Amino acid sequence: MAMMRYAEALNAALREEMSRDPSVFMFGEDIGRYGGVFKVSRGLMEEFGESRVRDTPISEQALTAMAVSAAMTGTRPILEIMYADFIPLCMDALVNQASVFGYLWEGQVEMPFVLRTQGGGGVGTGAQHAKSLDSFLTHIPGIKVVAPVTPADAKGMLKSAIRDAQPVIFLEHKLLYNMRGEVPDGEDELVPLGKARLVRPGRDVSIFATSKMVIEAEAAAVQLAKDGIDAEVIDLRTLRPLDLASIKASIARTHHAVVVNEGWTFCGYAAELSATIMDHCFDDLDAPVARVAMPDMPIPYSEPLEAAVIPNAARIAEAARRVLA
Amino acid sequence: MATPVRVEAAGGEYMENVVVLEWSVEPGATVTAGDTLVTVETAKAATEIPAPVDGFLTAIFAEPGMEVPLSAVLGLIGTTAEDTAFEAKAEAKGATEGALAKPEPIVREQISSAGAASARRIVASPAARVRARSMGIDLRAVRASSPSGRIKLRDLASTQVLDGGPNMSRTPATALPADEAGRLNVIRSGAPGNIPVVMIHGFGADGPSWSPIERDLARQRPVLRLELPNHGKSPRRRMTSFSELAREIAIAFDDLQLPTVHLVGHSLGGACALALADIRPKRIASLALIAPAGLGPRIDGDFIEGFAGASSPVSLGPWLRHMVADPKIIGDDFVRAAMASRADPDQRAAQRQMARDLFPDSTQSFDLRAALERLTCPTRTIWGKADAILPWQQALSVPGEIALHLLATTGHVPHLEKPEVVAKILRDHFASTETRP
Repeated sequence: MAMMRYAEALNAALREEMSRDPSVFMFGEDIGRYGGVFKVSRGLMEEFGESRVRDTPISEQALTAMAVSAAMTGTRPILEIMYADFIPLCMDALVNQASVFGYLWEGQVEMPFVLRTQGGGGVGTGAQHAKSLDSFLTHIPGIKVVAPVTPADAKGMLKSAIRDAQPVIFLEHKLLYNMRGEVPDGEDELVPLGKARLVRPGRDVSIFATSKMVIEAEAAAVQLAKDGIDAEVIDLRTLRPLDLASIKASIARTHHAVVVNEGWTFCGYAAELSATIMDHCFDDLDAPVARVAMPDMPIPYSEPLEAAVIPNAARIAEAARRVLA
Repeated sequence: MATPVRVEAAGGEYMENVVVLEWSVEPGATVTAGDTLVTVETAKAATEIPAPVDGFLTAIFAEPGMEVPLSAVLGLIGTTAEDTAFEAKAEAKGATEGALAKPEPIVREQISSAGAASARRIVASPAARVRARSMGIDLRAVRASSPSGRIKLRDLASTQVLDGGPNMSRTPATALPADEAGRLNVIRSGAPGNIPVVMIHGFGADGPSWSPIERDLARQRPVLRLELPNHGKSPRRRMTSFSELAREIAIAFDDLQLPTVHLVGHSLGGACALALADIRPKRIASLALIAPAGLGPRIDGDFIEGFAGASSPVSLGPWLRHMVADPKIIGDDFVRAAMASRADPDQRAAQRQMARDLFPDSTQSFDLRAALERLTCPTRTIWGKADAILPWQQALSVPGEIALHLLATTGHVPHLEKPEVVAKILRDHFASTETRP
């Protein structure tokens, strides 16, 4: 075990996988000389050279199409999109190419690329640099979407994503990069995709959260415990494909569910989770599923206003109390 | 496998409920097919329900005066005097529909309001609907506690309590039974008015074990007898530690939604009462601990194991007599009645496990002396000087401002052995706190 920051854990995963497999290479804006705006790729250009760690011009649309083409022709590209807010620029390559080529060519092509990006608010980056567009991505069949929270999961899941034969969107959060945690040693310490993580067991209500909202949900559980409410917190880790078995097992124990996602509420990822729970767990539910998500509005630039709208521990705890009432 | 006694044959097709008038046979008695077992009142007249098979009347679920649905199981006829196991599935018309075939519980409801209620759509959570169906609970008889007005799972737990519905016997299992959901059972009696008293019985006992003093106390106030997990009609749930048990008690206490109570506990229930008074101090008007556990390490482990494991009156009797100073008060009838309340082997297995978890190696695994020091409410302890289970000397650790009543020629169950004395102590205790400025 080693104590690492989230960004360092990602850096370690990239370094190990690039050393292990010469077909892995990465490209994106300011990832080479500058080391990435969040320093995830720091030192990698020096170590692996400019042909495997490439700085590119600003054109997310072209970059994503490049990732698709490179993956189809036998390499394992890792593309960094600096902010998740720019994901709409990548959409054609994802929706009309990456997700359907395997089907159109009857499985004759594999699509082993990783698109890393980061989203989320909380530090005053405004309406164009703080969004969580998870549901844009999880809406597409044929693409995996993951969002690890701990440094250990960041490293283990990035390695799994790089080795995966399907496109994987790897969602990071700007407020997670500096978080520290124990990371297991070993180049083959993988964390499987598609498996949720039980953060805290509880008997009264299940809180299903993604990305930074897992941290807020943990804080909510601490608040609730003071009132004698024993909340279970589950980090979904993989947003698609969903670990339905863990969700069902948890609700069968607690009979109450709160779903939390930092994206917009209407048609959002929390809405999808809620509907899925209704489909599969209806007879186990003792109250309607509560959604905690961003109100349907632009993210304010003013930090107090931003804090007022981004989901947090207090709103999660309030939702848990509501479903238990 | 016992055969259920049902009322179906007696009703006309326009009837849903009947009122039980009288049982002609005592529990435990031998019956022959065709004998009149019980008389019920239908719309037409009093109708006698005959025994469906030969055997022993091993359980009565529907007491006289209760109104029950036609499909209710009134009692059981066992192949032996202790056979209370029956499988609803075996006698279903379509054997696959197990859940539907389970007997409906006995629901006391007012005829006048039932008609009106049935016309309304019942608002209940999906989980509550499924649970009610599988338990045979009629949701019309359930009151919603949630501000949403929706019936939730917790409401079913309390309904089962109020109705004293049939205890669905399961086939005996050798392994530890699976944990059951639901809230702890509470037996309510007494007149409204004064501050209610909540009573917590000891290990291996149940709510009815308070009966020697319950009637006396109930004249002045509501009496709520809480049943511990794995005891009485409370759910079976493994309690791996005393703090887990205390948490269950606190949940059940909070569910009662009483602003203030007098709290009385005996033995393990005394420890529970003390722990509850420690964590809910503002809601406890007074505390009375009768031979409480938790005040020292020593406990008679042979007794705990032997008592919890006894599966017949022959093995139970000596342990019951060990509990009291004068063995003559434990007659054969008392032993048989005590065994009848402990007929479920799953429950005995659960109690044995609970004993092993709470009292490993004949030691009380929890120490509540510090809680005693923190108490703010008026508190009394009552202990028998001939207590062979928990030595009365443990009372000497009680702080000086807490009263100690030491009863001579009294064993571990003062409220059974000296009911008048204990009732008087409690009455005085409650009155002294209620008249304080």
